[in-house]
Amino acid sequence: MGDAELELSPSHPEEPEPLQHSPPSPTPSPSPSISITSSPSLSLPSTPSSGPHHPSQRRSPSPSEGPGASSPALDVISEGTGELTLVIDPEMAKRACQEVLLKVKQQQAVEEGSEENDNSTTTTTTEQGLPNGDLGGHGASIGGVGVKGGVVKSPGIREEDDPSSAKNARRRQRHNPSKQSWLLRLFESKLFDVSMAISYLHNSKEPGVQAYIGNRLFSFRHDDVDFYLPQLLNMYVHMDEDVGDAIKPYVVHRCRQSISFSLQCAWLLGAYSSDMHISTQRHSRGTKLRKLILSDELKPAGARARRDPPTLSLFCPSASATNPLHGGVAAGGLIGEHSLSPSKRTHQRSKSDATVSVSLSSNLKRTASNPKVESNQEEPVRLTPQREFIKSLMGIGKRLATLPTKEQKTQRLISELSLLNHKLPARVWLPTAPFDHHVVRVPHSQAVVLNSKDKAPYLIYVEVLECENFETSNVPARIPETRIRSTRSVENLPDCGMTAEQRAGSFSVVPNYDNDDEAWSVDDMGELQVELPDVHTNSCDNISQFSVDSITSLESKEPVFIAAGDIRRRLSEQLAHTPTTFKRDPEDPSAVALKEPWQEKVRRIREGSPYGHLPCWRLLSVIVKCGDDLRQELLAYQVLQQLQCVWEMERVPLWIKPYKILVLSSDSGMIEPVVNAVSIHQVKKHSQLSLLDYFLQEHGSPTTEAFLSAQRNFVQSCAGYSLICYLLQVKDRHNGNILLDAEGHIIHIDFGFILSSSPKNLGFETSAFKLTSEFVDVMGGQDRDMFNYYKMLMLQGLIAARKHMDKVIQIVEIMQQGSHLPCFHGSGTIRGLKERFHMSLTEEQLQVLVEQMVEGSMRSITTKLYDGFQYFTNGIM
Amino acid sequence: MSQVEKKVGLLRRSSSSKKPLKEKVVLMYDEIFAKEDPSTHNPRFWDELFLMKVNLEYLESKLESVDGEEVQRIQDNINSLFHHCVQALGEEHQIKVVNALQTLCALFRGVHQKNKSASGFDIINMLMGFDKAELRMKDLMESLDSLLCGDGSESLKSLCLKLLLCLVTVTDNISQNTILEYVMINSIFEAILQILSDVSSRGQHGYDAVVLLALLVNYRKYESVNPYIVKLSIVDDEPTLDGMGMVVHHALTEYNRQYKAKEEENQGGFFSTLTTMVGNMFIADADEKLSVQTNEAILLALYEAVHLNRNFITVLAQSHPEIDMGVTPVTPIPTTPTTPLGTTPPSLDAMNNPELPLDPNLQTSNLLITFLKYASIVMQDTKDEHRLNSARLCLIILTCIAEDQYADAFLHDDNMNFRVNLHKMPMRHRKKGVDKNIPCRPLVCAVLDLMVEFIVTHMMKDFPMDLYMRCIQIIHKLICYQKKCRIRLHYTWRELWSALINLLKFLLSNETTLLAKHNIFHLALLVVNLFNMFITYGDTFLPTSNSYDELYYEVVRMHQVFDNLYCMVLRVSTNTGQWKEPASKVTHSLVNVRAIINHFNPKIESYAAVNHISQLSEEQVLEVVRTNYDTLTLKLQDGLDQFERYSEQPKEAAFFKELVRSISLNVRKNVSLNTMSQDVLLKEFSTIS
Repeated sequence: MGDAELELSPSHPEEPEPLQHSPPSPTPSPSPSISITSSPSLSLPSTPSSGPHHPSQRRSPSPSEGPGASSPALDVISEGTGELTLVIDPEMAKRACQEVLLKVKQQQAVEEGSEENDNSTTTTTTEQGLPNGDLGGHGASIGGVGVKGGVVKSPGIREEDDPSSAKNARRRQRHNPSKQSWLLRLFESKLFDVSMAISYLHNSKEPGVQAYIGNRLFSFRHDDVDFYLPQLLNMYVHMDEDVGDAIKPYVVHRCRQSISFSLQCAWLLGAYSSDMHISTQRHSRGTKLRKLILSDELKPAGARARRDPPTLSLFCPSASATNPLHGGVAAGGLIGEHSLSPSKRTHQRSKSDATVSVSLSSNLKRTASNPKVESNQEEPVRLTPQREFIKSLMGIGKRLATLPTKEQKTQRLISELSLLNHKLPARVWLPTAPFDHHVVRVPHSQAVVLNSKDKAPYLIYVEVLECENFETSNVPARIPETRIRSTRSVENLPDCGMTAEQRAGSFSVVPNYDNDDEAWSVDDMGELQVELPDVHTNSCDNISQFSVDSITSLESKEPVFIAAGDIRRRLSEQLAHTPTTFKRDPEDPSAVALKEPWQEKVRRIREGSPYGHLPCWRLLSVIVKCGDDLRQELLAYQVLQQLQCVWEMERVPLWIKPYKILVLSSDSGMIEPVVNAVSIHQVKKHSQLSLLDYFLQEHGSPTTEAFLSAQRNFVQSCAGYSLICYLLQVKDRHNGNILLDAEGHIIHIDFGFILSSSPKNLGFETSAFKLTSEFVDVMGGQDRDMFNYYKMLMLQGLIAARKHMDKVIQIVEIMQQGSHLPCFHGSGTIRGLKERFHMSLTEEQLQVLVEQMVEGSMRSITTKLYDGFQYFTNGIM
Repeated sequence: MSQVEKKVGLLRRSSSSKKPLKEKVVLMYDEIFAKEDPSTHNPRFWDELFLMKVNLEYLESKLESVDGEEVQRIQDNINSLFHHCVQALGEEHQIKVVNALQTLCALFRGVHQKNKSASGFDIINMLMGFDKAELRMKDLMESLDSLLCGDGSESLKSLCLKLLLCLVTVTDNISQNTILEYVMINSIFEAILQILSDVSSRGQHGYDAVVLLALLVNYRKYESVNPYIVKLSIVDDEPTLDGMGMVVHHALTEYNRQYKAKEEENQGGFFSTLTTMVGNMFIADADEKLSVQTNEAILLALYEAVHLNRNFITVLAQSHPEIDMGVTPVTPIPTTPTTPLGTTPPSLDAMNNPELPLDPNLQTSNLLITFLKYASIVMQDTKDEHRLNSARLCLIILTCIAEDQYADAFLHDDNMNFRVNLHKMPMRHRKKGVDKNIPCRPLVCAVLDLMVEFIVTHMMKDFPMDLYMRCIQIIHKLICYQKKCRIRLHYTWRELWSALINLLKFLLSNETTLLAKHNIFHLALLVVNLFNMFITYGDTFLPTSNSYDELYYEVVRMHQVFDNLYCMVLRVSTNTGQWKEPASKVTHSLVNVRAIINHFNPKIESYAAVNHISQLSEEQVLEVVRTNYDTLTLKLQDGLDQFERYSEQPKEAAFFKELVRSISLNVRKNVSLNTMSQDVLLKEFSTIS
């Protein structure tokens, strides 16, 4: 298909007609980026399925209106925001578009199949509408182009010939195309990446440039843009209309494609709108877009297209883009098997079980043996299951916060989660995970409440089944907790066994579920006794093996003798062999849970899970925070991520671990926990050792390879985080906020105090970063090799970071817009940040600076003071 | 015709002489009990009948008073009445439905009352007529089913359930109730489950539904295939199972609460009378007062669910918040309203019901914990029949739980810690309520505590042998699981050991009296084998190496008991007699215990001699034990970790038959259709119709 388009593209500007003959694209368009290949296709009426447009055109009162009839002066209708589309010079737009088009094709652009065009006659047509599908205004502008004939433009840089629009006229006058040609060249260059795009979007005052970049976004890889999603949305919320208009088509387009993107946007929009005054907030653009997304009207365009009467004209603008009625029809008959609409396959479970809205009570639900009556007319829910899932997790957090003791919290948490399990599996997922999956079970007894004074953050483990696409793959069938059918149950009556069959039938996910079922049905204690002893036993000759033997050797009647001393010895040996664990402490339940090696935990939970035998079974974990603002954490995550990229690019072996943050609102969110790591506070409290001794205990003596590599990891991570702490001015660095992982890395967590904010303004922590003598001890002491290596790493890291300062600054700067976050308090935040990169210093001077900082941090008594302060106030060692 | 007239005339006369006004409905009943078809005179007779308020007593007594010959005469009319009752169930007019339900109930009861000795077939014939019976019952069951599942009035549903309960319990022995054969064919199982799965209907009718189910499951349990057993065993719908669990949980919680309230009353009395009374006198007194009627029906339901349905095990561990009276010593007990527990149980739906009650005093509980507390109360006093039965059933349920792999898994789950306040019997030699501060531990600790408590408190003349056997077996099963799965439970095993040794001591000292009634050797063998488990496999499940030393210390310290036991069993096994075989088994099982005693005793003595200490401290003995392991050889015994799985048949069949009989009697006594006054119904339905 790409080829076909490549051939076509040169002809676009001159003659639109050939397009009518362009071969129907035989396969689904592989890429949304192709959607940029705009063309004023006139062949619309013959394309019944040219889906994406329909949101705007479906309701057209005059479906027979031909392309030619569509007037450029058609009303500009936008989604309630009333913005007008932008105008830039057609010539330039033409060129720009050509280039983009070409480049896109060269890239043979990418991945996720856009859902709509499998049977569109003219791909190009289809695509063009896509981003603007429901922007009435843009739809009108397409019409304009159509009439002009021969003008090809990027979807967003579109033309508005409407003479009545004074605003547009003004803009055109203001606009000076020649000035931008150099810019355009840059934009077309290979170097132009998302980071630059975002930067120009933020800095440029030219609506044309902004609009161009808005379109250009379509050509970037989704992942790349996703990284800047907080920036994009913050700009959308807080910057002027032009930027918003430029961004919106892209966002809407992506929302149509992906449920998770939709939710992500909705959450972020909500969070970033929250700093506005309540009155403006209600009418702000961000809130409106959020409502639009959450109203679930942004369904995949393909699904809607199919229901459109073929006579509908693409060029008929329609006020119905936002007509809620559309949503209502969406569930109607879906024709065409290519439809990727999740609605079609929405699962019974995901629908009725995980949602409140579709309550069970409405159906006459008899029992397990009576299939639930599932009404087909029901509006399938796209976003609801996940939203409900998140909502219930937050609800748990809120309720936990009211309980006084950790013990009660833990018990309550476990019980609430066990109830949550009833609703699973469902079409829900953990947004922090890097792969598509469905959540099937929450091993509730593994969940722990984390240490926090008044809030109740908690950590849950989540069993998921990896799948190809969580939107379209079937939700796995539920497997009962006990996993095995009772050997006691009488199951010979044919009419009674329907539950399992019925389920297996309608869910049909796990292909050999029945086999598995049988494979698992070894349950009786009696039978289990003959099973192999478990892992711990294989090391030594075990009594229980004796006993198995002895059963068989019963006939021989030869008594077997055992030494009491052996039993006793085995007992103490086995106790010694168990890996070092922390002792259970009701006041610190998370310590034990976090200390357990991740692999060990995965194995254990997998063994106990009814889903554990499935090959696609995975274990994830997530920290649910309720009542905490994670926007700063998200900002820190982005900076860390960016710096990690930079250091990787520059080949500086600094080690940091950005952990994923999901902002759900301005006071809730989720955090991806760092596995195999416990806080230094917990280490010291439970082991009662100094850090160095703990290293020796965990990794072996100072000359062993294990210790050395742990030490190297420690140094590399220390250097990385020292720089981070300095650059971002991370405060509140007590030992509870620094983790130590099983490989010796330290990981800083909790970026609640960064940049301009510091805790309680006590004036503590004046040093650049935290470097205690214990840390230095682990490095082998001052002036030793590892310590010098540490300083050298910092220098290299700083130089590398400096080189790419803009990329870092930009992330922070954009987020400052309209934000009331404490980290932006005061006016000098960005300036301060810039200064800490010391652009003016030579490398030698930088080296001196690093030396000074390290010296200063080591000498700093404020760190010690702060630790003492924390110990007295919060009991953190 | 003339006869009828005469009769009517007679009645009229008599009524005019005594009561000038006789209820119309009574007159209509009389017409039915006349020979003629009442509808011949009055075509709208049946329509009218069901508009009348039912006079249950009259109808029932009338049925009872009918004698043999008359039965033949009026059978057609009764059949017709039955038929019309069933038909009326489909009426739109709810008053008719109510009256029909009540009439049916009177019919069932009256007919059975009359024909206690008659065979089931005669009764069926009398009620419905043989040829029509199948059809009538099918219609009846279908009507009931649709009433129960429909959106109709709750009081109607309640009446339906009452009718069913009434039908199920009309005979003392449920298996002799032949009409139930039709209830087997036309299952209302689904309707029961639906009631249990729905939060609101569960609150109102859950109890009746669960009791009904428990009884139905016990119909001809051992003779034929009971579809209710089959269906119950495969239910896997969590909300439903949970609903069942909630009903049981609620009933047991209610019992615990009542008991607690009574106990507190007594406690108050205790303090007031403390000045005048001696403590132990009071205790005997209190026991009497504290007995709250146990609820065997609900316990039976729990048993059937645990025993038959694999998936129900998960429900046991399903936690929900509960107002725990024990843990909140600061706040004077439930000032918090208990309503959320009652009518609308704190819904199982975290999602549907995001606002669970937010009370800081709420302690998370689950069915198992509540059950353990209940059991701890019930087991305190096993003197009367009901309580003994309840205690036995509790232990049977625990046996089933201890055998279940999944249940064991969560019992031993290190992450699921709970405080379980078991009730302890006030005893002379120990103070009550010393340990208010029970640590948070895995649930299995509570089970073990309960067992230890039972062992310690029931060494009495009227020795509950059977309960002791079950108790020891439960411990054995739990330890087998721990051994197999290498779970090192941090439990103070010492308490168990000393309880077991005391039990052996008791058996020895009461040998003669006990032997008259029980095979004490079997129990002794189980106890000794528990010790053998610890001795041979201690390395796989003991929590610390010290605990193994302590085991030896305990055995050596109490060696007298083992020595005496050995002497006793040796004596009995050398004699010929019925106990020869079992006693010799105990002799063999004692081999390792004796080896330990014989090995360490001299060592300890010599240690004392060498160091010139008369009384060795525990630490010193442990030291001797530790240093002398290596020279001790033990014999490996077979099958220590084997146990017989629980099976209801044939061993327990008699028990359950009796239990069900007593439950039937109890339910029959308590099912009153009059609980719902006609007024309420009228008020409710007059607006509807």
